[in-house]
Amino acid sequence: MIDSCSSVSKLLEKYFDQEATDKERLLVKGHLQSCPACQHALTSMEGLRTLIKAPVEEAARLEDFPWIWQKIDREIRSQEKVSWWRSLRSWMDISPLFKKKVWIPAVATIAVLLFISTQVILKKIPSYSETSVVEYIESETYNIMVYESEKTKTTVIWLFDEEDQESSRS
Amino acid sequence: MRRIFITLLLIFTLSLLSASLSYGQVQVRLRVFEASNVGTGIDSSLKDMRDQFKPLVDFSSYRLLKEETPTLNLNQSVSSPAHLGRKIELTLIRQHKNFADVRVKIKREEMDVLNTQVRLSPGRTVSIGGPKHGQGVIIITLSAQF
Amino acid sequence: MNHEETQLISRCQQGDQEAFKEIFDRYQKKVYRIAYGVVRHREEALDIVQEVFVKLFHSIKNFKGKSHFYTYLYRMVMNTAIDHSRKMGKQIISSLDEEGSFEPSEEIEKWPEKILLQKELEEKVNGAMRKLPAEQRAAIIFREVEGLSYQEMADAMECSIGTVMSRLHYARKRMQELLKDYVGPQGQSNGASNLLKEEGVR
Repeated sequence: MIDSCSSVSKLLEKYFDQEATDKERLLVKGHLQSCPACQHALTSMEGLRTLIKAPVEEAARLEDFPWIWQKIDREIRSQEKVSWWRSLRSWMDISPLFKKKVWIPAVATIAVLLFISTQVILKKIPSYSETSVVEYIESETYNIMVYESEKTKTTVIWLFDEEDQESSRS
Repeated sequence: MRRIFITLLLIFTLSLLSASLSYGQVQVRLRVFEASNVGTGIDSSLKDMRDQFKPLVDFSSYRLLKEETPTLNLNQSVSSPAHLGRKIELTLIRQHKNFADVRVKIKREEMDVLNTQVRLSPGRTVSIGGPKHGQGVIIITLSAQF
Repeated sequence: MNHEETQLISRCQQGDQEAFKEIFDRYQKKVYRIAYGVVRHREEALDIVQEVFVKLFHSIKNFKGKSHFYTYLYRMVMNTAIDHSRKMGKQIISSLDEEGSFEPSEEIEKWPEKILLQKELEEKVNGAMRKLPAEQRAAIIFREVEGLSYQEMADAMECSIGTVMSRLHYARKRMQELLKDYVGPQGQSNGASNLLKEEGVR
């Protein structure tokens, strides 16, 4: 009896929930006819179901819903009005920027990027008088002379052979 | 967050790209001529040259050997032969709406005989002269068209 | 899911408001029952119904039809109701201790004894439900209020049937412990089940 009770008690909930197989149902039904403990357990489950379900059924029975649809409809329409802006925002996903831990590095990154691009794109242009036309000059073969005339806007780089120099000295 | 960074990166790249596209090219006028004291002829396109060189040297003859107008792209070298085995290599280093920095190399047999970087601005001509050519010298002039 | 409902959902996904109204008419009571089962409070349950259908309007496009529509909807209701319940739990003005007493209002002594008893019972059940973990509360409501099968519950709760049975078992066990004076044969001595019989609910 006790062994039967312990095995049936595991099936009792399935039986109560009508999820037992035919074989299980027959077993439980047969056992219930002669086991007060299992009958008691089943009654408890029935009682609990009633306690949980009854107030809900009563509340649903008394409730009338027509005005709820109007509220839902109104809210859906109000949300649709801002949807184009929300979809743009969601695409841009800029809301994370307003979190403190995000906007500080984001602003710093933007500042660095702007600084770099400013340096690259808008590099400071020195006036012509500040800058020599010839940035650098080198030759292993020639001696060099640079002549600049601002009047004629001419820069002449003259290359001398070494023998030329010697002959000119002489 | 990822979209923000991608957007920022795109803006940055596009701005750099647009900057480089608008300021990455310059057309230069390259002339190579021979100056000597043999003869008295001056090519008509070189008449202004004589006045420019007068403070330094005074030749009686100026003969145009070649004229080219290559377009220089940023950091891309353009080579042009310059007689007697010499080669002129031009590289645009930096470019702005009012000037262009150009590296000029004169090579002879792959050896740099001259390496210089000059700033070309509107109306300015840079001339490099002196290497021997026949009975005269070679003069190379460079100017930019803005 | 029958063909007719499939068509209805498809129309909703294309933004057909008439179709959505039809879905609302079909499911409003079921949604309300589940919501009320969780929060046991009329105004809260109505707020949940409103919130669920607004959410559904926007999310129905994402419903792929891999599960039954009602399990998709029930999952949404349960999650929304439990969230509300958690928020409501922080604002509870009447409290129940282990003995089950409650704070009466000023007018309460004028109420008939029957109603007082009923109120006390409801408070007891509400208090016991609030003590259950969210998954066990969901399981017991789906089963006892809506009568879903184990398979349907598994779909709605996105777990296995074994897990459903386990949650149900522990939920019932806990509820029976907390409501031992009101369930089973001894509950009759307190008039609880008699009261319910009088109300014609059982």
